[in-house]
Amino acid sequence: LSVTEAEPRTESHSEPQPRPAKRRRMPDWLAGNLLLLPTSIWFFFLMIIPIAIIVAYSLGQRSIYDPVRFSWGHLVWSNYSKALNPDFLPIFIRSIVYAGVATFLCVLLGFPLAYWIARFSGRYRTVLIVLVIIPFLTSYLIRMYAWQFILQPNGLLNSALGNLGLGSNHQFLNTHFAVILGLTYGFLPFMVLPLYASIERMDTSLVEASYDLGHGKASTLFRVTIPTVSPGLVAGILLVFIPAVGDFITPALLGGVKTQMFGTVVADQFESSQNWPLGSAMSILLTGFILIGVFVYLWRVGEEAL
Amino acid sequence: MSEPDRVSVAFIWDTDSPLFSRRTFMRTMAFASAAGFVAACGGSSTKSGSSGTPTTSKPEAKQLNFYNWTDYIANDTIPNFQKQTGIHVTYDNYSSNDQLFNKLTVGNTGYDIVVPTDNVLVKMKHGNLLEQIDLSKIPNVVNLDPRFRNAAYDPGNQYSIPWQWGTTGLGFDKTKVGGEVTDWDAFNLPAVKGKSSYLDEARDAFGMALFALKKDPNSTNDADLDQAKDYLIELKKKIQSITSDYQDPLKNGTLLLSHAYSGDVFQIQADNPHIEYVIPASGGFSWVDSMAIPKGAPHPNNAMQFMNYILEPKVGAALTNYVSYGSPNKAATPYIDKTIIDNPLIYPSADVLAKLPFQKDIGEDEQKINDRWTEVKTA
Repeated sequence: LSVTEAEPRTESHSEPQPRPAKRRRMPDWLAGNLLLLPTSIWFFFLMIIPIAIIVAYSLGQRSIYDPVRFSWGHLVWSNYSKALNPDFLPIFIRSIVYAGVATFLCVLLGFPLAYWIARFSGRYRTVLIVLVIIPFLTSYLIRMYAWQFILQPNGLLNSALGNLGLGSNHQFLNTHFAVILGLTYGFLPFMVLPLYASIERMDTSLVEASYDLGHGKASTLFRVTIPTVSPGLVAGILLVFIPAVGDFITPALLGGVKTQMFGTVVADQFESSQNWPLGSAMSILLTGFILIGVFVYLWRVGEEAL
Repeated sequence: MSEPDRVSVAFIWDTDSPLFSRRTFMRTMAFASAAGFVAACGGSSTKSGSSGTPTTSKPEAKQLNFYNWTDYIANDTIPNFQKQTGIHVTYDNYSSNDQLFNKLTVGNTGYDIVVPTDNVLVKMKHGNLLEQIDLSKIPNVVNLDPRFRNAAYDPGNQYSIPWQWGTTGLGFDKTKVGGEVTDWDAFNLPAVKGKSSYLDEARDAFGMALFALKKDPNSTNDADLDQAKDYLIELKKKIQSITSDYQDPLKNGTLLLSHAYSGDVFQIQADNPHIEYVIPASGGFSWVDSMAIPKGAPHPNNAMQFMNYILEPKVGAALTNYVSYGSPNKAATPYIDKTIIDNPLIYPSADVLAKLPFQKDIGEDEQKINDRWTEVKTA
């Protein structure tokens, strides 16, 4: 910022600037709004309208023959009270815990990785970042199927452990471990990329200064490095936690009856239970809760962290 | 074998093996977007809202858009039809009834033939999502087994021509379950604890519970359904998962016992001969998947021509020989492999058949089951 502000000032010193030729110029407010227009249209049609439809669905009457019957005269608020049924609470809490643990593991794995790539990988940096992105070229679903093959009883992991003499009869699939592993694996790049961007821009002389001033390694990490890259960290945490908490593919493929997440319950309402209004009410509530959580989080860490 | 160029999407995944479930749920969803794209292309000639009845014989483009379950057709079924009629077939796949139903509900899909299961067919009928069939264009309808001419789900074949049928029972690994599997109580075998599954379909799961409790499997009585719900919740403590995607897990030993559709199990037997299927002694649901024409289909006459073709004895037999489900086509019997005809699990005896009812149309009462199903799933 300081550079761009400084530039015109130095220019104005060196030569008396000629006033820009008087021509009809678009007023700033109009230019700004015009530039915003494409995004606004996009946002309106692909974000606002779909959410409005879900809200309308959530107030509709369900039926076996059409998924939703909506009428202004008959708004069905009871879908919301059904969605708040305390029976769903354990599953909701489980989702939060899974997503929380997965986010924590992503920080643990992603931070050193991003730090190393950004600072010490030299000319391989681009290659390494591309390697982080490459899994995205394959559908998330297919990657979860791949994990099934790795984790199943006669799968790769068990046979590898067997060859090491550690027994080949471990139960990996359908456990908390499998679901959290899937979530961590699936969302790790969302942690690495924003962290990488922050760390890469970090002024490394701050670290040297910290050492010079007598801080140790740990102290430098927690008092200098992490606060400096916190925008990336906050973004990474949000980018991992939010999709992870609503995920339903991972528990469906890697989990069993005891590891279902809230996303599974919502998906069920659109499929085997055929209750779209309830499913819509659930997703609105889930979105609401997460939004509140995010606001509280941002308020605590400080909005400027982003 | 030369494959016609338009039969593309299915074969990307199918290869030549019939070894994937026709109900494999998630896997095909990965390709759903691709299928949707092809559907959009195939259906581009659709005039939206064209309400012309299929009986009006206006000339149709030589095109047929066919939306079927995954791995549910013989390799030569479509190529031979194309050769015979010159009609191009675009073949897309889905992997669950819900996926199909939701798609048709949303509107004009451009498909000419879809293959819903009987209970979903009933919903589509009530939801006014189907065109009526003109049986005068399907003379081969006389080849059908009488059981399918006047079935409760569609009396007189007004909306549907059956494709294949089968039963719902138990698939298991006979070397590992540690006991005889004859009835639904097999879930109690100690060896299968934590290694069994039941179907992620509300009607099928409640049917299983009601059969096991010796109640009417089509009951809508609240007390019966509550008992069935408790049964399922109790059973949930013993199983590993509620899933319709049980084929691979059963094959590779992740699951030892699964509430399953007959043909799915026969398909994995080829890979793992230890796997067996049983029709439970207390009974189970029969199901039938039927060809139907969605409302506003662009090529209804081609669709009926295709239905007639499928009802030809040799075509029907080839289909059954490939997919290992029962054929509703009685005239096809002489051409069906003897191993299939003689298999009492595919062609059960009359007294067993009596315990294999179809799911009844219970109308809006299905909500009672759906609500309890949510309770089961979240318990």
